[in-house]
Amino acid sequence: MSTRGRSELQINLATNIVIISMAMLFATLFMGYAIYRSSAPVWPPMGVQRVSLLLPSLSTVVLFISSFFCYQVSVSTKKNELSKGHKYLNLTILFGLGFMVLQGLLWNQMKSSGLFVSSGIFASITYAFTWIHFAHMVAGLVALLYLKKILKPETTNLMTKTTSVENFWYFLEIVWIIMFITLFVF
Amino acid sequence: MSGGYNEIHPEPTTFWSKYIFSFDHKVIAKQFLWYGIFFLGVGGLMALLIRWTLANPGVPVPIIGNLLFSGSGGVVPPDTYAMLFTMHGTIMIFYAITPILIGAFGNYCIPLMIGARDMAFPLLNMLSFWFAFLSGVVLLISLIIPQGAAAGGWTSYPTLSTLIGSPGAGQTLWCLAIFIFGISSTMGAVNYVTTVITLRAPGMGYFDMPLTVWGLWLTAILNAIFVPVLGAGVILLILDRVFGTTFFLAGASATSGSGDPVLFQHVFWIFGHPEVYILILPAWGIVSDLLSFFSRKPAFGAKATALSMTSISVLSTVVYGHHMFTTQMSPLLTQSFMTLTMTISIPSAIFFANWLGTIWKGSIRFDSPMLFSLGVVFVFGLGGLTGLHLGTTTTDLFLHDTYFVVGHFHYTMAASVLLGGFAGIYFWFPKMFGRMMNEGLAKVHFWGTMIPLNGIFFGMLLVGYGGMHRRIYNPFIYESLQRLIPVNNLITTSAILMGAFQLVFVYNFIKSLMSGEKAVNNPWEVGTLEWTIPSPPPHHNYDIIPVVKCGPHELGNPNLKTGRDFQYQTEELVEA
Repeated sequence: MSTRGRSELQINLATNIVIISMAMLFATLFMGYAIYRSSAPVWPPMGVQRVSLLLPSLSTVVLFISSFFCYQVSVSTKKNELSKGHKYLNLTILFGLGFMVLQGLLWNQMKSSGLFVSSGIFASITYAFTWIHFAHMVAGLVALLYLKKILKPETTNLMTKTTSVENFWYFLEIVWIIMFITLFVF
Repeated sequence: MSGGYNEIHPEPTTFWSKYIFSFDHKVIAKQFLWYGIFFLGVGGLMALLIRWTLANPGVPVPIIGNLLFSGSGGVVPPDTYAMLFTMHGTIMIFYAITPILIGAFGNYCIPLMIGARDMAFPLLNMLSFWFAFLSGVVLLISLIIPQGAAAGGWTSYPTLSTLIGSPGAGQTLWCLAIFIFGISSTMGAVNYVTTVITLRAPGMGYFDMPLTVWGLWLTAILNAIFVPVLGAGVILLILDRVFGTTFFLAGASATSGSGDPVLFQHVFWIFGHPEVYILILPAWGIVSDLLSFFSRKPAFGAKATALSMTSISVLSTVVYGHHMFTTQMSPLLTQSFMTLTMTISIPSAIFFANWLGTIWKGSIRFDSPMLFSLGVVFVFGLGGLTGLHLGTTTTDLFLHDTYFVVGHFHYTMAASVLLGGFAGIYFWFPKMFGRMMNEGLAKVHFWGTMIPLNGIFFGMLLVGYGGMHRRIYNPFIYESLQRLIPVNNLITTSAILMGAFQLVFVYNFIKSLMSGEKAVNNPWEVGTLEWTIPSPPPHHNYDIIPVVKCGPHELGNPNLKTGRDFQYQTEELVEA
């Protein structure tokens, strides 16, 4: 194996293991959710209002746009158009931040509609899952900032590193979509 | 995220970069070793306090009693007793066994045994240690806060671990410490898996790796997949405790929906069952290698051993329900889990038979690493057999939560891993520190450990079978258990004896470190890669990356013309 091929493999392996680990964490959360939900007589529990779909839907769209720009980053990097890559990366980060702001608004809205963290299992799940996802978004943002720093021609294995960060960002997007569908839509 | 290129990194020059924040896998391994031995001492002392209380309820602890429990006249108070068994379990599992077996041997052996210059991600490796360090500090802080440490058992089942069961900050800090430790373990796992896959020396196929590396590699894979499951569990527990969520609170009002305490048990054991294999696999690997090295014979069925360990790792992920037979799960489910659990016997029996096949008709050298390895064969055999009683629903219903369980998991997880760890320390000490340990003292240490150890854990099997439940402060208020006082005395006496003999190890370790006899490159005459380089190895391990031409267990071949009875992995295989 060439030195270059080896270090590319190392980066890919490490990213995938990290994603698998985090996926296991979220899988555990969703398993718990499935148990709570299937053992509850009605869902949401009596007297609890569903969360309005507006903000979660908006979050989904914003995060999707962010992922689209993230895809463009790797397309530009592959074509070696790094200044374009930086532009798309800025947009990725911007929309990522937009998603996080929307999450803040969502929590605010939930609170003002009387759904507090301590108001039972429905609230527990909605708050805790979005919090934990948010914490991973922060990690994702750090990864994007790292990519911003290294997105220059002299970086070794630039393409592999770009794809790694990209995959991590997609992973967060996928987790959010699952959360959007299971927590808010159905 | 810098890829390792297997290049020679410049040697660090300052004290801080060389010994404290070192990227060198050998230094990090030693840091984990000190860390693990320190916590082994702390956890061991806690075990002695527990044993003292069980044998002599209400009697002040001699010597240190008045120092530690001045409020109660030197007697261990009941709430402190609960903290002691909780912290003993936690410390031994996460802060003693994990750092020594996985942290120290994993870091030390993997790169050296596969012919690499360092781990794939040295920076991540260093962070892994310092996260573990931070976690240890958080755990130690929980011991000295006003309401005391966590007291819900190492399994931390709700409702014992919710705010109702344990009000103070101890349990929250426990969760936090475990979470940070999980991050450290995951970082280590990323490194180990990647290193084994990408940095094996040219010519080294997966089945040319020593079984030690196999064990550590499988452990790392299980770690990466299952530690996050516990991570999710303790995050939810922290949220319950700090932010008022109700994940594990039963009986919240019907209108708001109810949490489920038993869910935590599921989450805990989905992690917990693979965890016992996470702990034992490195020891199995080490023992599989050492039995071959000291029998001067190739490991019998080495490939089958490796594949058995792999299939056990896979099976370990689908048997967790056998920890929960008494939680009113459906009998259909208990039968499935029981059948799957019994299936593990098949690969276990295969590699156990391989161990016996390895020593069969070997010209055995009874050096200290070999003695400890043979000890593992014995105690693990006993531990595995008692597992059958607990994996079977019908008998488990009676034995659940008794000292039989405690005896069983100590034989498998504690005794086997402890002896395996000592075998490893005696074996690699010359390579790690460039000096030999005193063999006479090592043998004293072995017998002084082995005999009392069986007194302790076999005694536990007996009292458990006699009906004594675990985690009771004073079992002898029940008249039916009073006849078990003599056996409990035997266990406690054995424990004190075993504890005393560990001082021999500490003395030997420190003495040999200072003034032991200088070690040659290959004191045990074995052929794996780490013994081809000087003891201790230079900063970059290998001047030239070795080319591997044969397996790790080529010993006792009569056709060898080199005057040695073994061949190095770098030598062309001589047909037997």
